[in-house]
Amino acid sequence: MYELARKALLMAEKAGAEEAEIYYASSHSTGVNFKKDSLDNARDRFSEGIGIRAVVNGAVGFASTNSARELENTVEVAVAEARVRESDPDWTGLPSNGKYPVVSGIFDKKVETLELEECIGYAMALVEGTTELPGTLPTSGGFTRAKARQLILNTNGIEIEEESTAVSGFVDVITINGDTSTAYDFAISRSLDIDFFALGKNASELALKSSDGIKIEPQKTDVIFHPFAFSDILEEALAPSIDSDNVQKRRSGLIDKLGEELAVPELSIYDDGLFEAGIETSASDDEGIPSQRTTVIEKGVLKTYLYDTYTAGKAGVNSTGNGSRSSYMSPPAVGLRNFIIDYPETDIIADTRSGIFVNTVIGAHTANSISGDFSVEARNAFTIKDGALDKPIKSLMISGNAFELLKNITGAGLDVRKVGGIITPSIRISDLSVIG
Amino acid sequence: MAGFMQDIKFYDCRIVEGSSTSIILDNGKIEEISKNFTRGAGVRALCGGSWGYTAVEGEIDLKQGVEAASKLAFSMNKNTPKEAIELAAVSSPEIKDLPEIKIDPRNIAIEDKVDLLKDIEANAQVKGVNSTKVMYLESEFKIEYRNSDGLECAYELLNVGFAVSAVASENGVYQAGRESRFGYGYELFEKENVMELAGKAGNTAVELLKAKTPKGGEMPVLLDQELAGVFAHEAVGHASEADLVLEGDSILENRIGEQIASPLVTIVDDPTLHEFGYYPFDAEGVQSRRTEIIRDGIFNSYLHSRETAAKLGGIPGNCRAQGYSMPVVRMSNTFVDNGKAKFEEMLEEIRDGMYLIGSRGGQVNTGEGIFQFNAEKGYLIKDGELTELIRDVSLSGKTLEILNHITLVGNDLKMTAGRCGKAGQLAPVSDGSPHLAISKVLVGGA
Repeated sequence: MYELARKALLMAEKAGAEEAEIYYASSHSTGVNFKKDSLDNARDRFSEGIGIRAVVNGAVGFASTNSARELENTVEVAVAEARVRESDPDWTGLPSNGKYPVVSGIFDKKVETLELEECIGYAMALVEGTTELPGTLPTSGGFTRAKARQLILNTNGIEIEEESTAVSGFVDVITINGDTSTAYDFAISRSLDIDFFALGKNASELALKSSDGIKIEPQKTDVIFHPFAFSDILEEALAPSIDSDNVQKRRSGLIDKLGEELAVPELSIYDDGLFEAGIETSASDDEGIPSQRTTVIEKGVLKTYLYDTYTAGKAGVNSTGNGSRSSYMSPPAVGLRNFIIDYPETDIIADTRSGIFVNTVIGAHTANSISGDFSVEARNAFTIKDGALDKPIKSLMISGNAFELLKNITGAGLDVRKVGGIITPSIRISDLSVIG
Repeated sequence: MAGFMQDIKFYDCRIVEGSSTSIILDNGKIEEISKNFTRGAGVRALCGGSWGYTAVEGEIDLKQGVEAASKLAFSMNKNTPKEAIELAAVSSPEIKDLPEIKIDPRNIAIEDKVDLLKDIEANAQVKGVNSTKVMYLESEFKIEYRNSDGLECAYELLNVGFAVSAVASENGVYQAGRESRFGYGYELFEKENVMELAGKAGNTAVELLKAKTPKGGEMPVLLDQELAGVFAHEAVGHASEADLVLEGDSILENRIGEQIASPLVTIVDDPTLHEFGYYPFDAEGVQSRRTEIIRDGIFNSYLHSRETAAKLGGIPGNCRAQGYSMPVVRMSNTFVDNGKAKFEEMLEEIRDGMYLIGSRGGQVNTGEGIFQFNAEKGYLIKDGELTELIRDVSLSGKTLEILNHITLVGNDLKMTAGRCGKAGQLAPVSDGSPHLAISKVLVGGA
């Protein structure tokens, strides 16, 4: 279908589109997965398709397909949809004048050419890591490598093509003797710099340490969130309010808060499409706007929301390069790039006299994305006593509010981790309410 | 074909072709109209104890797909040989009783659909609501299944649905109300009284502004049909999926025949019902059938694929896939069967506690048997009467404890359509229950 992208653009103009955009994406991924401690399956997946935005009289239609035979019909549907809509006064046009920055570290030839036998080797390393210590078994997990290519063309002269690679490993483990406890570990990277054996071993150690948990009294205490737990809460309870689309539609908890002191002064947050080797790094966003580094929170003060071309046009500002798509099947919408949490780092557990350390949470997606209220079940949680992890906690619910969290950060760890696109250390919050 | 094909004991193909249309109306404006056409195939091949799987989109060369999947299976088996996988025997499914469609949504002009959405949205804009969104979804697809044993079958399905959400705000507090319905045929919009549902979403958002966040702790709780259905699906249904059992990731392992719940509880999975999780045959060409997971409190059956049914002894028919992804064991329409209790009786039974309504989602850990769900809203129950409206409440606990703490099962079973995520794939499902009274559960609040 790659060869058809240019033709599709011409077809759209011929069908009556005043402006048109072709978004082509393809990917090839190979995954090797295990169940318990033996390999179960290998999967190869080829995906390729085209999404078309057609603009007629200031109204946009969108259609997509993965079938070359359907392409002409798809283009016509996109134009016909645009005609059904009334002219949108907020539409200012598709991107133009793309001058792109150079980004690095997102394509690794070694990943592209990886043989199945090597993929099997990495999957086995995950399993072997879990068997290093007696007492646990993996339940499921796997290794995946992927190569992706995207091409964006529009009638305003945008033409940008990029290629990228990614590898990831995931492992879930369970204890096999006595009290049942589980744990997981996960990593994703642009190149083969992940220690898969260590991932397996970490998960196994964490499950073992979590056995025979104690019950604790309901209380307000200092809670340290591991990057896994903190990024989960940020993504579900805070990020939606920074999305300009939600702000414009009055569905954000941060309306009219620009310039306000939202967080402790030690905290800054950046949205960075240029971050070296980042999972959300690329020269262009998913509609052809050059990527950039945006300061969202500077020393505690909210500086900007995040915009794609449409919401930026509506607000009369420039896009921040946050036009994002989950696949060729969807039109762009505002999405995070690499979202970097910056706070002075210390040996945070050692600096905490008493409190709770939480590795992961379940239920973050049930947060109220407008008010920022969340209530989650903490997993692999431990009490902290005199600067060290003390006892595992069996069951723990944590309730709070994402905006309050930002005001109550009192420390960050040295353990910065890339959790997909969210890059954060462990974060300590004072006075959180927990129910054991 | 290549030399390794003689070692391939089984292969199968699923070819999926279809299109979907979505229309989104946001604050009175058409936000998006989009249509997607897809065609693709998923091919599985089995060699000894290893599966190979290939998915291809667009124009498909099945022979090439079978070879690619076979090569993966062969290499896996060569590199890490293990005990051969057996598959439970199946026969050709009978395709009958597909959901009837009276009004074909494809015959309705897009302008009319937009007008319908505008009416729905207007009904959600009750006094106090300041933001609304309505989504219309329509999807049609054809599934063809073939395997190396000569089984061939196909069916087509067309479904429609909508979701409406309303947001109300006051003094920096934001609350949302949501309603959705999914089914077969455009007549859904007449049958379901969608305008009333839209008004309900709006009213919920406004009411919740005044609701209090209660103090959490352990207490007796009454669950409404939707939240109890989520419990049946998330906490019990997932743990009964035989692939998770075989992975050692289910608390229900080795418990068939055991009393695991109050004798009032029967939980069923039934893909033959014309609810959103309906299918005539599963992703392995197996005829769909009703399974009693729990009967009168006794754990009765896991849910199976052909592989897990052969390993654990059982009947297949619950293997499903999103599009042409690799199929896994999944639920369909899962529900707690009706009991006898009336709503008033149940309030009296709870006496002092909470009535929790609706669901904003939840998560479970099937290995440890722990769950967490958030309710949309609720009411405090004092002296057996509903009193104050509450919000931001969640419940969590151990699946087996809750099952045993069910003291009354209502007689008002209701199903709710949704999408269930597993193995990175979404599948249409429905879940439901009558009201359930639970003597003790941990509720999270302020």
